[in-house]
Amino acid sequence: MKVAAVIQSIDQAWKIKNLVSAYLVPINDFSINYTKTFSLKEVFSLTKTEKEIFLIVNKNIHNSELGDLEKLLLEIENFGISGIVYYDISLINIKRKLRLKTPLIWGQEHMVTNYKTINYWYSKGADYAYLSSELTKKEIDEIIEKSKAKLFINVFGYVPMFTSRRHLINNYLEYFDLQAENKSKLIYKEGNYYPIVDTPYGTTVYSNYVLNMLDQDFSLVDYIVFNSELIKEEDFYDVLFKYKNGKNNYKFPFEYGFLYKETVYRVKKDA
Amino acid sequence: MHRPELLAPAGDLERLKIALLYGADAVYIGGDFSLRANANNFSLSEIEEGVCYAHKLNKKVYVTVNIAMHNKELETIVSYLKDLDSIGVDAIIVSDPGIIHLAKEHTNLEIHLSTQNSSLNKEAIAFWKSEGLTRVVLARECTREDIKDIKENVDIELEVFVHGAMCASYSGRCVLSNFLTARDSNRGGCSQICRWDFDLIEEGEHLKGERPFTFCTKDLSLIKYIPDLINIGVDSLKVEGRMRSSYYIATIIKVYRMVIDEYMNNPEKYEYNLEYERILRRCANRDSVPQFFNGIFDKDVQYYNGRMEITNQDFLGMVLEYDRENGLAKIQQRNYFALGDEMTIFGPKEECTFTLTELYDESMQPLEIVRHPKQIVYIKVPIAVDENYMLKKSLTKD
Repeated sequence: MKVAAVIQSIDQAWKIKNLVSAYLVPINDFSINYTKTFSLKEVFSLTKTEKEIFLIVNKNIHNSELGDLEKLLLEIENFGISGIVYYDISLINIKRKLRLKTPLIWGQEHMVTNYKTINYWYSKGADYAYLSSELTKKEIDEIIEKSKAKLFINVFGYVPMFTSRRHLINNYLEYFDLQAENKSKLIYKEGNYYPIVDTPYGTTVYSNYVLNMLDQDFSLVDYIVFNSELIKEEDFYDVLFKYKNGKNNYKFPFEYGFLYKETVYRVKKDA
Repeated sequence: MHRPELLAPAGDLERLKIALLYGADAVYIGGDFSLRANANNFSLSEIEEGVCYAHKLNKKVYVTVNIAMHNKELETIVSYLKDLDSIGVDAIIVSDPGIIHLAKEHTNLEIHLSTQNSSLNKEAIAFWKSEGLTRVVLARECTREDIKDIKENVDIELEVFVHGAMCASYSGRCVLSNFLTARDSNRGGCSQICRWDFDLIEEGEHLKGERPFTFCTKDLSLIKYIPDLINIGVDSLKVEGRMRSSYYIATIIKVYRMVIDEYMNNPEKYEYNLEYERILRRCANRDSVPQFFNGIFDKDVQYYNGRMEITNQDFLGMVLEYDRENGLAKIQQRNYFALGDEMTIFGPKEECTFTLTELYDESMQPLEIVRHPKQIVYIKVPIAVDENYMLKKSLTKD
């Protein structure tokens, strides 16, 4: 099991260098659900850390973006990147067409929910799968047992729960002619606050809690992911440091998300 | 230029028959593994009955099997797919590629890719073609130019949503229901959190408009753009709404049927008929716009009226029988009406507006008003009608 971190800055990457084995790096114009994304030049500079680097290319790719995507994928072929987390299926086809060698990680966020489909994508060239955060421990254990791909799992950080192409904050402010500053925003409902962020590519809403499953045993998962999105750099360092040193007194309480909470989907009883 | 399929939703057998009767070429329905787990989904025997009914009319039935599977669904899905295959459904609509793999391994089912997979580009769609899929339901974020480019570059059938409600998110990228109500949206439990009201807060300050913040979008309507879609070569024009009423289905499908046929029959002289737009607007309970089709997704495609949707009481009754001898139609009431009201009776092809002059109860005693839900009454109608014709308020006083 290796520790991987989503980074917010190149400085942060260097600061946590001794606490992680891998970086997950959102990339300019092709990542969503991350407020900070990086240029290829910055990604290249990270190779000097001698850590594994996984690029996050998790945007829904519109037809007009295919040309730039192909250029990006060709350019990073020589970077020695460990893999690309993909959401859009175009990446599978482009990899085949251009005979690219950089490994792929199936990362369709809320869809990575069973071992059969993970094995399907494995057979199509995705050597890794990045598990959904809506799984139970029992489901994760069965996936570990039956899937062929190497696995990533979120263990710390806010969880994106909604992604839209629309600019929902901006639309609301414009519609009602409201003034706002460029400060962090939340939406509130029934005692809960959910972070909400507009970027040039749309709107993301995050969980009302910081996932913290650091006391759980994921030793059979290949990469456990610490997501720094919306977390202060010093707090994020503190969490990684304490995890590395086996201390459990985190600033963030343990929060297991769906790990022991099964969702339902059929409210009515079957006839 | 080929005539596209008009594809209608059907929440149950009654609506399946209505949709086909009012002009749909095909219907899509939900079964055990669909994304409307709380709709009255079809049992296998109902699917079989629906398929037999449709095939007799030379029409098609597609079954949505579009959940994102968890491990436990793997235990039962194969036998379900085999059952659908033996029933002879025309295709399944799938989003989870694990199901595609199982369907190919165990059945001869034709497979369509669901919009839940958010297919927006020709590379992704080329991949699905190489996997043996025959049709892709495009993401609703596609523009006219996207659709055209995809059609020109990938030889696969394209299905495009033309009417109905929209997800506020990219389809498949919303688990608000999971987090806020513990209902799994990608397995059919969506509780439409996007239509809830929220307070928008910036560093402790409430950014408060005249109405609360919401994700809610207006509905989609591409009625104006049907000729564009036909010219692009889109294969199937899809109406959303498996939870919608028979009246809604009949009205929407009839209008789209007329627009398609009018354009196909004489493209050079085709003129957009504003009256159709008025009928659609009146039938829906929410505003509708072209959404992403023209590349616009600004504040004007959002919907800030919360859940205050207009309750439509236009649907007055359904024709159960017609007596040709005395011109009386047996009606099951759906909304209040009375002697002297101006109303319209309509079927798949024709309609007639008239003033109600004769009204009787089940014992043929004269009545003045019909106020009881599903009350059976007889009315005099000016044209010959048939079972499943409908009675609505006249729109002349709109």
